[in-house]
Amino acid sequence: MNIKEAPAGADLSTSRPKRGSRLLVQMAKRYDLYLMLLVPMVWYLIFHYGPLYGLQIAFKNFNPAKGITGSEWVGFEHFTRFFDSYYFWRLLRNTLTINLFSLLLAFPIPIMLALLVNEIRSKTFSKWLQNVTYIPHFISVVVIVGILTVMLSANGPINMLIQALGGDPIRFMESAGWFKTIFIGSNIWQNMGWQSIIYIAALSGINPQLYEAAKMDGASRLRRIWHVSLPGIVPVIVILLILDVGQFMNIGFEKILLMQNNLNLESSDVISTFVYTTGILKGEYSYTAAIGLFNSVINLTLLLMVNRFARKTSETSLW
Amino acid sequence: MVRKQWGKSAVSLMLIAGLVLGGCSSGSGSKEAAPEGSAATEVKKEGFPIVEEPVQLKMFTRIAPVNGTFKEMPVFQDYEQMSNVKVEFIEAPTDGFQEKKNLLFASNELPDALYRSSLSPLEAVLYGAGGQLIPLEGLIEEYAPNLTQLMEEYPEIRAAITTPEGHIYAIPGIVTLGSARTDKKWINTAWLEKLNLDMPETTDELYDVLVAFRDQDPNGNGQKDEIPMTARLGLHIVTMMSGSFGLDQQLGYNINIEDDKVEIWMGSERNKEMLMYLNKLYTEKLLDPEVFSHTEAQYLAKQGSGQTGVFFDQTNNNFLPIADQYEGMSPPAGPHGDRMQAQASPVPRDFGAFAITSVNNYPEVTMRWIDYFYSDEGSTLLRFGREGEHYELKDGIPYYKEAYSTSETQPKITPYAGGGAPHLISEQVASYINPPQVQEAQKKLDPFMPEVRYAAPMFDEQTAQQVNILRNDIDKYYEEQSTKFIAGALSFDKWGEFQETLKKMKIDELQQLYQDAYDKMEK
Amino acid sequence: MSQRKAVKKPKVAMSDERWFDIVVYGIAAVIMVIVLYPLLFVVSASFSDPAKVLGGEVWLLPKDVTLDAYTNILHNDKIWRGYANSILYTTVGTVINILMTLLAAYPLSRPDLPLRKGMMLIITLTMFFSGGLIPTYLLVKDLGMVDSMWALIIPGAVSTYNLIVMRTYFQSSIPWELQEAAHIDGCSNWRLLISIILPLSKPILAVMVLFYAVGHWNSFFNALIYIRREELYPLQLVLREILLISQSDAVDGSVGLEDRVLLAESIKYAVIIVSSLPVLIMYPFVQRHFVKGVMIGSIKG
Repeated sequence: MNIKEAPAGADLSTSRPKRGSRLLVQMAKRYDLYLMLLVPMVWYLIFHYGPLYGLQIAFKNFNPAKGITGSEWVGFEHFTRFFDSYYFWRLLRNTLTINLFSLLLAFPIPIMLALLVNEIRSKTFSKWLQNVTYIPHFISVVVIVGILTVMLSANGPINMLIQALGGDPIRFMESAGWFKTIFIGSNIWQNMGWQSIIYIAALSGINPQLYEAAKMDGASRLRRIWHVSLPGIVPVIVILLILDVGQFMNIGFEKILLMQNNLNLESSDVISTFVYTTGILKGEYSYTAAIGLFNSVINLTLLLMVNRFARKTSETSLW
Repeated sequence: MVRKQWGKSAVSLMLIAGLVLGGCSSGSGSKEAAPEGSAATEVKKEGFPIVEEPVQLKMFTRIAPVNGTFKEMPVFQDYEQMSNVKVEFIEAPTDGFQEKKNLLFASNELPDALYRSSLSPLEAVLYGAGGQLIPLEGLIEEYAPNLTQLMEEYPEIRAAITTPEGHIYAIPGIVTLGSARTDKKWINTAWLEKLNLDMPETTDELYDVLVAFRDQDPNGNGQKDEIPMTARLGLHIVTMMSGSFGLDQQLGYNINIEDDKVEIWMGSERNKEMLMYLNKLYTEKLLDPEVFSHTEAQYLAKQGSGQTGVFFDQTNNNFLPIADQYEGMSPPAGPHGDRMQAQASPVPRDFGAFAITSVNNYPEVTMRWIDYFYSDEGSTLLRFGREGEHYELKDGIPYYKEAYSTSETQPKITPYAGGGAPHLISEQVASYINPPQVQEAQKKLDPFMPEVRYAAPMFDEQTAQQVNILRNDIDKYYEEQSTKFIAGALSFDKWGEFQETLKKMKIDELQQLYQDAYDKMEK
Repeated sequence: MSQRKAVKKPKVAMSDERWFDIVVYGIAAVIMVIVLYPLLFVVSASFSDPAKVLGGEVWLLPKDVTLDAYTNILHNDKIWRGYANSILYTTVGTVINILMTLLAAYPLSRPDLPLRKGMMLIITLTMFFSGGLIPTYLLVKDLGMVDSMWALIIPGAVSTYNLIVMRTYFQSSIPWELQEAAHIDGCSNWRLLISIILPLSKPILAVMVLFYAVGHWNSFFNALIYIRREELYPLQLVLREILLISQSDAVDGSVGLEDRVLLAESIKYAVIIVSSLPVLIMYPFVQRHFVKGVMIGSIKG
């Protein structure tokens, strides 16, 4: 079930003499594949590489009147401003911990859910479970935060329960200690069903004969999950993991911003919200671009590392 | 259709590649206003129409969610007939307005003018210095008699909009009506009466009243569901109470001015006293526990619920159905006898409401066009529409007709709803926002207003950037820590540390910059 | 297919299976309850008096039942126009997305394609670096797409994330031997893609349609930036306009703001239900394609 990376290398390296011309022959033989790639690649060049010159504003003082190229260079000024900012370490710490906990908790849960769905024999029940868990994805963050506020307010159901059990009500939304739990917990609630779809699709691609064979061999259900289902979706898991790690420094700012208040800022202040409030809202494009670039470089480094690690251990990688 | 688009894209690849290499210089820089265009059209210095030959202008504007499209509004239909100036509005909704405005400048896709644009002082200086906005001081003198008169009557207007170099790049919305510049302190007099309490005159009395509101069940339902006091999200409560502790709000910031000396008071002992007072209110549940987390919608709902003892708002519009339970209150006297209404907007209340760009061929016409709205006549047209159809005069003062007093209909006929429109708000046009109840509440504040209300000063381009950078850190820190002090999440033992950090963030440097700006303004 | 991982273990008793089923259903039931409760709240809130919702009185069942929210939505022309626009943008956008992604993902999944890794790198890098808002806006403007539906579709024609997922599926779920065999039969790459790969890729195609369509349906930022004419607004933008209430709305005590707050609060929940319906309806259709054994048929045939 491995991704066939190895044969590819073998295929090309069998042609030891005159590697260059051999390569051309290989390419010419598959000209139609390049033809398929033509439009998407041109699109990538225009829409992703075309605007890249805009990156330079991170090293400039962008002045709208002078345009991107006409603005004056200031070197690493915006970067040092960010690193010297009073909030730099707090921003970094919160961004990293929220992502780390998300990766540890929110990443595996959709996989488990998909495996669970796969084990349910009643078709109707399985469909129901999928449909229900997938709905919350469509509730906009504004409303999600609204629901959270109602549920967790001083006289909301959760605090009623706590009081009924003899505890003191907790001001969840105004507490730095609870912020991360609420944020990640509600994320899991909202997205586990949606994210499990891709694993469910991958699971459905597994050859049923494998299950039959395992059953013949007397493997228990748990063992079949472990030895057939999981290996079947490992490539998908690895790729999604790599992509997730590659987005390590990015958290959507909208939900955090809505949940943020001065009382939980200690643990809710993250780079993306900082960029939004001090950069975008005030039109500080250069500063924002510098922070964005810093994020990208870290993300890319992480991606390269994980990708290399994945290639060595699971023979699956992005390239 | 799809294919065609793709073909087009592919063909333009080369073109774009060239664009990328060439760096695609977007801003062609400072184009001076082109007065040649206007030479052909004679601009009348007074009277209407402004021009004999119709002139067309493109203006970028913001429409609030309540508004309809501008071209359906009577004010713009009638004024077009009257002035011979046809305005085509490029309308951007409030949501995304800031982004679209930034992009217009960044891509140099300029309209002729910006209407209701809420430019910040920093933006005005930046775009002005870059030549995308043209200086208006000369045009104002020549073509804006109404505005000039207002600026003579209220010198603080000129001070607030003129850069250190002497240029004016944006015209503000002007509010001469005192009551449109303050948030009233509304107190539930029905509760006071029921509990036999007097109107509180000091902060200590206010405390006692709030305790009574909390404990004595003034709404009589047997439940402790009253909210003794609430405010808008965040530090609104601080701006509303600071006057009682001798803390003013001058220059659009946390600033006291005494004997021409500017003091940023955030780290002062007086501020500590105030925060301790608010902390007492908060911990004893006299101040709404949700004051640091509720939304604007929830706040407005609390106003309208009648379950609130004290709250703050400019008008009574948001709690009209139960408005007779409330009355305005004077600022309570603080522990040192200070009694001041510190929160008050300056006369030029809405900065950056109108600006003319460098691509405008008829700057004189444009200036005359906007100037009309700074007269009572023009302002009436803008806010009330047509006499007989939308409003009626009573004692010379316009009142909306019944049909245009609802949230559905009124904002469709006037761009004032939603805020920030460039015009004059005076006694004359305030029947709706300044009914007797609000006037009464304002009278309670009037004796305690500071003599002069200095608006935020204009800095030159470089200083403006510097102030911006300093304030980014300082404001954020101050707001977060103040909140924590009030909520008790931070003990007052840390006050020294708080002062130290403000020092480290160069609050003294910031104070000096404001001092310099003040000195220049006073000269 | 490597089957070396199949395990040898003594036969399991039937009771174990039963026990396993109980656990599976148990966990599933718990998840259903946790997920359903807030959803029930949304439904209840949509039928309740908005003042009660705002006051925190509704927490499970509707209070002071009213259909105002739904009639309000029903009579709002802007919402209907937004609906129609969103359906158009989603349909056209998704078709282009799928075509483009397929054309990129398949060749890049081929182990025998020279320069594959370099191209993957070029594509992957775009996930990390972007020129930012201004240059992108200038590009879209220069292509003449501002204020048209193409500005919402063309700049996002491929999602790199989806491309990588699709490519991974091709690599891991479609046996390379099958493709080689087809080649030996003299099948061209286009034929191969259309008559062998596509039929085998139903689950992933279904997922991609879902991902892209939902992405289009929920997106608003591009519309916020590029669309000026109100008649072109997608649903999400219309909704934001109705729902967002900020302090600037309260300046000068804007008329009857209180009514508006309540209106926004009341339709907020109904709007979620009405606006999610089309995408909710999609799921069962997508689900149909998650059928095991697509591969077998093909291998046998």
